[in-house]
Amino acid sequence: MREGRHRRLELTRVASLGFTAFAALAFLGMLVLFTVESLPVWRQAGLGYLFGKRWFFRVHEFGILPMVYGTLAVSAVALLVAAPLGVGTAFFTVEVLPRRARLAVKTAVELLAGIPSVIYGLLGVLLLRDFVVRLLAHWDPLSGDTLMTGGLLLAVMILPTVMTLADDALSGVSAAQRTAARALGLTRAETALRVAARQAFPGLASAVLLGLGRALGETIAVFLVIGRQDNQWPKRLLSMEPLASAGQTLTTKLGGSETFISYGDPLHWGAVMGLALVLFAVVGVVSVAGARLALREGGGA
Amino acid sequence: MLRAWKLLLIASSILPAATLAAAPPLRVNGSTTINPVVVEASEILRKEHGLVIQVDTQGGSSGGMAALGEGRAEMAMVSRPLIDEDRAHYPKARFEATRIGLDGVALVVSRDVWQGGIRTLTKAQLRGLYEGKVKNWKEIGGPDRRVVFFNKEAGRGTWEVFARWLYGDPKAAPLVNLPEVGSNEEGRSKVTATPGSISQLSAAWADGQHIFAVGIQDGGRTVSPTPAAILDGSYPLTRPLMLVTNGSPQGAAKLLVDLLLSPRGQALVRKNGYEPVTGTAGGRAK
Repeated sequence: MREGRHRRLELTRVASLGFTAFAALAFLGMLVLFTVESLPVWRQAGLGYLFGKRWFFRVHEFGILPMVYGTLAVSAVALLVAAPLGVGTAFFTVEVLPRRARLAVKTAVELLAGIPSVIYGLLGVLLLRDFVVRLLAHWDPLSGDTLMTGGLLLAVMILPTVMTLADDALSGVSAAQRTAARALGLTRAETALRVAARQAFPGLASAVLLGLGRALGETIAVFLVIGRQDNQWPKRLLSMEPLASAGQTLTTKLGGSETFISYGDPLHWGAVMGLALVLFAVVGVVSVAGARLALREGGGA
Repeated sequence: MLRAWKLLLIASSILPAATLAAAPPLRVNGSTTINPVVVEASEILRKEHGLVIQVDTQGGSSGGMAALGEGRAEMAMVSRPLIDEDRAHYPKARFEATRIGLDGVALVVSRDVWQGGIRTLTKAQLRGLYEGKVKNWKEIGGPDRRVVFFNKEAGRGTWEVFARWLYGDPKAAPLVNLPEVGSNEEGRSKVTATPGSISQLSAAWADGQHIFAVGIQDGGRTVSPTPAAILDGSYPLTRPLMLVTNGSPQGAAKLLVDLLLSPRGQALVRKNGYEPVTGTAGGRAK
């Protein structure tokens, strides 16, 4: 019996080591692949690839700044909507709802996370486009395909992630802390906001960051409602106008036809792979930041 | 214990490969215009011959040619003539095209534009619309409504036929920034839902109830994309619907091509709104 357990442990170790090594190798492999394949465009455009505002593949002009802007803009809209809503919901489920009801709500929200993104995209086409035209009537959008539409759709999609992770973080605050706070005479609201929120802060932040990671990488749903218009560098960065226009993100460009037709042309293919590399880097930074915050929480900062 | 694990691992890595080798599916990729016809034909072949045919529309006609050239598909659906670039990108491939039908590229407008009086367009007007010089429909005799041009994305057969007709060569088309649409389904839904919109779309998809195909006014004549005008070639944006293989079609690909050229297949072509290729007009073409 003991012998058997020992063996099983050994096997678990070997297997988990193997799978971890596989994941690490896949990560490195992708990084190397994207870098090597995108070399032609770096050689041709240099840093102009990152900061150029014109993308016309027929004349081999590749500048991705408008797409980086599009990605950041839709993610910002998504976060501004989903972070308060998700974290607020988590406060409600943890601090107000009885345990049973909390689990029921949490399960329902987690089910939402399992809906395929193309379904969200089609719902966006059906329900969100007209809504956004009315919402942004003041800025008079040409059609319902705007960065705002993409951002709002993403907000709905990342809400379950933010909510359920924030819920975990808040419910992880030890009961002793709460009891002590109540014993010191703090009200329930004060306990929640001053004690639990502070204790759970790294967890809440990592919930938001992991939601952001999902927003950055989402493709097909945004693809269907963003309009896919190239070279939409805003005249004024901090205005609503660009949000009321069609645009393009790193992922919607990758999801479009250029990925399929660029094979025969090393430079064009390099430019497409460069998009993947940049996206990879951005998502990587956000995910690492999220994971580090979560670790800090685990370490009991 | 460990040995059993190893066996399982080895078996699981070999089994899928073995089953794939037994019945390789025919992979078809390309134009969303041809897609419904080929999907229906594949269904018939699945029922009658047990053939597995995967039909995909990633990247449209040029996406299909790329997949065929790269060996990611055995057949491409192409809704435009073959161009030099196809051969230049894949010099080793021996592309062989079979025409299975004819279609027109229509310029479609939304209901408000149609009812506002835009029934025909000239080449000059279309250039103005495409290049963003005409910003409001009233400038060319239509309703007071801003123009929204949904451009078919690069690589779509529809776009290439349009650009070749309007500018002589897709490469000569001016560089524009327009919101883009991909599949015919997407183009249809966006033009239907957006007031003041225009797009290029397969003529068979313009239903005349939600979206409307305008006539083309060229050299004093006005031609609408009617079946008769597409069949006799008087509609200027007429295009072939083709199945392309690398070398002559073999096996499952040949069955599919033969079915589509048979009266039964041609009926499918007609049922989907496209014009059949009759007698010697159809068949193989290099």
